[in-house]
Amino acid sequence: MSSLALYPEDEKLPRNERLVFDLYIITAVALFVLMMLLGLSMRLTQATWAGIGPKLFYEILTMHGAGMVGTMGLVTLAVMWFFLRKYVHLHLWAFLTNYVLFMLGALAIIISIFIGGYAGMWTFLYPLPVHSMGIGSVNAAALFFIGYLLIGVGFLLFYLDAAAAIIRKFGNLGRAMGLQWLFGGTIDQSHPKAVVASTMVIIANSLGILAGAVVLVMCLINAYFPAVVLNALVVKNLIYWFGHMFINATIYMGVIAVYELLPRYSGRPYAVSRVFLWAWAVSCVFVIIVFPHHLLMDYAQPRWLAIIGQVVSWGAGFPVFLVTAYGVLTNIYRSGLRWKMPSRLMVLAVFGWAAGIVPAILDGTIVVNTLMHNTQWVPGHFHFYLLLGVLPMALAMMYHVIGSRAQSSDDAAGDKLSLPLYIIGGLVFALAFLAAGKASVARRFATHLPEWVPYDQAGSIGAILIILGMLFFSVRIIAGLLKTPTDVGSAHPGG
Amino acid sequence: MISVRQRSVLIAAVIFAILLLPPVMHALQARMAAQMLVQIPLLIAVGYLLRAAVPQRLAAAIAAWNLNGLSGLLLATFAAAFWMLPRSLDAAASEPLFTLAKFVSVPLLIGLPMGLSWPCMNFVVRGIFLLELIAMFFRLGWLYLISPIRLCNNYLLDDQQRTGQYMLMIGGAILLWVAIKLLWGHFDLSPDSQQVARLHTHDPHRPADR
Repeated sequence: MSSLALYPEDEKLPRNERLVFDLYIITAVALFVLMMLLGLSMRLTQATWAGIGPKLFYEILTMHGAGMVGTMGLVTLAVMWFFLRKYVHLHLWAFLTNYVLFMLGALAIIISIFIGGYAGMWTFLYPLPVHSMGIGSVNAAALFFIGYLLIGVGFLLFYLDAAAAIIRKFGNLGRAMGLQWLFGGTIDQSHPKAVVASTMVIIANSLGILAGAVVLVMCLINAYFPAVVLNALVVKNLIYWFGHMFINATIYMGVIAVYELLPRYSGRPYAVSRVFLWAWAVSCVFVIIVFPHHLLMDYAQPRWLAIIGQVVSWGAGFPVFLVTAYGVLTNIYRSGLRWKMPSRLMVLAVFGWAAGIVPAILDGTIVVNTLMHNTQWVPGHFHFYLLLGVLPMALAMMYHVIGSRAQSSDDAAGDKLSLPLYIIGGLVFALAFLAAGKASVARRFATHLPEWVPYDQAGSIGAILIILGMLFFSVRIIAGLLKTPTDVGSAHPGG
Repeated sequence: MISVRQRSVLIAAVIFAILLLPPVMHALQARMAAQMLVQIPLLIAVGYLLRAAVPQRLAAAIAAWNLNGLSGLLLATFAAAFWMLPRSLDAAASEPLFTLAKFVSVPLLIGLPMGLSWPCMNFVVRGIFLLELIAMFFRLGWLYLISPIRLCNNYLLDDQQRTGQYMLMIGGAILLWVAIKLLWGHFDLSPDSQQVARLHTHDPHRPADR
């Protein structure tokens, strides 16, 4: 079980580790702001308040999608590293190599989009990247694929290093996930939740990246040897196996911050239970096989796969989410929770995760999906859980870390304004998408019908509020990280 | 009583001799799947087992240039890439000089470097190797299945497609084995201690713990 001290000694970062960690966080918050501005430019265009041409719109849409998914992966991997390193010996070179490969991959993606004209979306669905009707070149599509491959290799290296460290300590990945306690035995209460969650992520996301490595290379071959015609449905299955797992892994890496930090702010231990272990074991299986819910509209997909997609969708999100939500609520109930920015963000994160799951599960139902999947219902769902669920998990860790480096962990005066701005903006933004989805507004359209514009205008206002909040968070976090760390004791009075 | 090392060399010699027998050679080269998935892997195994025959002094000298087994892995990868080319496979089935090159280079440039490097590899390097091996089986299997043309003159399209199916199955089997091993297996994460000790007998400066 993790310590209840607010800033435990074993969490302090040595100089080199601090340098690399700061690099991750500063890069991530800067990228988030940039990607949000790109998102805003699209919503403003749909709202007829700005005039981006369709070509640039689809390039921005591609950049925004790939950039947000990648940055969410980058920052939640930093969350996983920050807490996992307390329990197992992680090598800094693996953490740093991932950063370098990520940046190289990001550079390749940026060049492919804004210089090469690639605009085939972050999902690179075959054969769109190589049949761009003359807008983008094949070389640009290939560079985009290479960018993804570089990012995937970086993640894989980090996961392998983490797997080696976990196996060295716990024997194998099964024992790290606590599988030996599923059917009986006395659970070791000191078994870290961070290890259970990290192990699940390593297993699931490595499989996803493997699928990505196969399909990306096949797409590269097809780009230069068009005679090798790929089966579009197989490609789509593999892309979503990879893509779904990658973005889902961000929740499971991010939630480690909640497991680790919440007990410190509530002052109440957050023990490992058999139900908790079952939830993570079941979710590990479900998250691997849930991807067919992205293909419910593909009539050629075998029926049994579509049924798996629906049934597992209903089950996949629930186990870990329910256990976490229940655990969080019981942990903070009458605990005298210290309402600081990290704890506020954690509670927001659990709410965002919970509320964001509901439209996802609806969309994972075949009869709903056939009506809603190509509408803005889908961006409504994922913006909800990413903006109000996953990102607050990472922000909670960042605020916690800057608190540990400051003389006091008290919130800044501006936090009282920035967090409500962010929450209200996030709700308006996500609900505008969901309402538009309910009204059958198509997604991924650069130009909207006049009847759709009010939703876009509401969404634009929400986006502006989010960005204002995020800008303040970014300044606070970057300034906090750049401060010289002070030697804060384990029983920090500021808490 | 023969030692483990002698037994390895003996097994390698026996396998090599059997593979050289004209009926066996012709049978294995008559089908694409047999050449790619039986003959070449067995030649790699011959080279792998031959590591036991490398004198200790030479093994130590190689090990000094083979940090974490990376140099050997690179050499084996490049050699394997050559023998993965359909043009090479084709030639090895019909041109005696290429057949000879295969029988010499596959054991010595793929199997032996792998044999000398595997014990030095840490978990991360082994992991990358295995994942790339699995991905390569899936990619090549897929490619062989969908290629509209015959990739080798010596083999028919149905043979090529069957090879593709086998490669997908082999990739799946390796993946399953790796998953089971990771979840429930027993690990000794220090590189093969006895082998490394033997390889580094003449390198006192090398750190023991990796």
